[in-house]
Amino acid sequence: MKKNNILKIKDLSVSYGPIKALKNTSLEVNEGEIVVLIGANGAGKTTLLKAILGIQKAQSGSIFFLGNDITHKATDKIVSLGICLIPEGHIIFSSMTVLENLQLGAYHNSQDMDKNLERVFGWFPVLRERSNQIAGTLSGGEQQMLAIGRGLISNPKLIIVDEPSLGLAPKTVSEIFSILAELNKKEGYTIFLAEQNAKKALEFGNRGYVMETGKVALQGTTRELMNNSKVRHAYLGSSV
Amino acid sequence: MEIFIAQLLNGLSLGSIYVLLVTGFNLMVLVARIVQFAYPHFVVLSIYACWEVLQLTNNMFLAVLSCIAVSVILNVLSEPIFRRLTNRQDVDINASFVVSMAIALVITDIMSHSINHGFPIAFPTSWIGGNLVRFGLITLSKGQIYALVGGIIAVLIFFYLLYQTKQGRVFRAMAENRYAARLIGIPIVKASIFSYVIAGLLGGFIAILFSILLGSASPWLGEFIALKVIAVSIVAGLGNLKGGLVCGLLLGVVEAMAMGYISGSWSNAIAFIIMLLIILIKPQGLFGVKI
Repeated sequence: MKKNNILKIKDLSVSYGPIKALKNTSLEVNEGEIVVLIGANGAGKTTLLKAILGIQKAQSGSIFFLGNDITHKATDKIVSLGICLIPEGHIIFSSMTVLENLQLGAYHNSQDMDKNLERVFGWFPVLRERSNQIAGTLSGGEQQMLAIGRGLISNPKLIIVDEPSLGLAPKTVSEIFSILAELNKKEGYTIFLAEQNAKKALEFGNRGYVMETGKVALQGTTRELMNNSKVRHAYLGSSV
Repeated sequence: MEIFIAQLLNGLSLGSIYVLLVTGFNLMVLVARIVQFAYPHFVVLSIYACWEVLQLTNNMFLAVLSCIAVSVILNVLSEPIFRRLTNRQDVDINASFVVSMAIALVITDIMSHSINHGFPIAFPTSWIGGNLVRFGLITLSKGQIYALVGGIIAVLIFFYLLYQTKQGRVFRAMAENRYAARLIGIPIVKASIFSYVIAGLLGGFIAILFSILLGSASPWLGEFIALKVIAVSIVAGLGNLKGGLVCGLLLGVVEAMAMGYISGSWSNAIAFIIMLLIILIKPQGLFGVKI
């Protein structure tokens, strides 16, 4: 059964002045999948995510979301079409309450706010407990959950997560990944995840792309990638 | 004792106007990310527009409407000029200050040459009203009552907007982290323009209250007020809304007390000396910088 295509990136090139950060990158994400993007710092992962969200301008190539060309659209339009980005570093608005942070996530569809809030509180009961607390007082893991909850409140068609493990303790990282896995399995959310921790990412996803110096160097199912000797050597710390 | 109460009332009325001006100014700092030196000048130009319409039509309702309309139009028209300066998270104090000072100079020039041949304007008694309340030797004029009550109402509405509405949440999010606000899909340019609209509505309201309180205006009123507004916001803490409420009122009261007990011509100097001392002791302002 062919899955519906959610995101298709074709020959995308992005340069910062003379530096070519992305060179003819192509990849795709289909409905219900968890696709992971691994690669070292500076390989181009964040540039790719920024290009999808319209933060970074692409010099050539195209980005299609649900069949629509979003290559040169503005960020707020892209988000309103159904992509949500959970940025690197569990970015939340620390001066505002948990509830207000969640309400911000629903900017583009504030009808059914109560129903959507209930859904998110169902997945993250700790947010319900702390809903009137100032977000800055939450722990790192709770802030990451808030960031995810805020992304989910608008019922996105594609969730893009950038480095969810950054700055979190290993136990918290596992918790976050298992929450994301459940959201995919139980609710069918499509997830596209960029992650430096290759082992965690490959255990978590269905398919993966390995980025090196702005290009997709390898791709395949996560099982194939885990068994690939180049990947094992460069990213999984294997000496074999 | 009566001098004290009379001057306290004077001070609170004037302070009320300062509070509204600092609030509009801080809104620009927090959301639009600019230091808008010309904000008081826009208010004065709106006072002039109000006066013109009153002269031409003798219709108070029309005058009020045009005052607010001119204020909103001026602020919104200035947005594209400042937009280029706001690409980063920080307030580009140098650039926006220079640009807004230039706008202020142009406005003052236009007023001193082209409107009423540069002479100060005076509002008719029907606009200014008279003394509405009397306690012994203490009187409250229509202007003072309007300034006090209008100030309280405007501040309440403003804080309601900021803390209880969707747009207010957008403003606060942009004030905290413009980039993150953009990432989660907030339309930054549209929201920024809306902040200019709010500043414009507030400015129009300030113009009406001020015109009734003062009864007159001159081309140099803008310069006069702008220095005080910037000074108050820095003394309170740049971008600190709640600090601005307190310090705006304090400035009004200090000025009025100096006028009542020492001398009218020293009131400015005394006010500025006090502000200077505060900044020397606490450079972050009394309540802390909030940007």
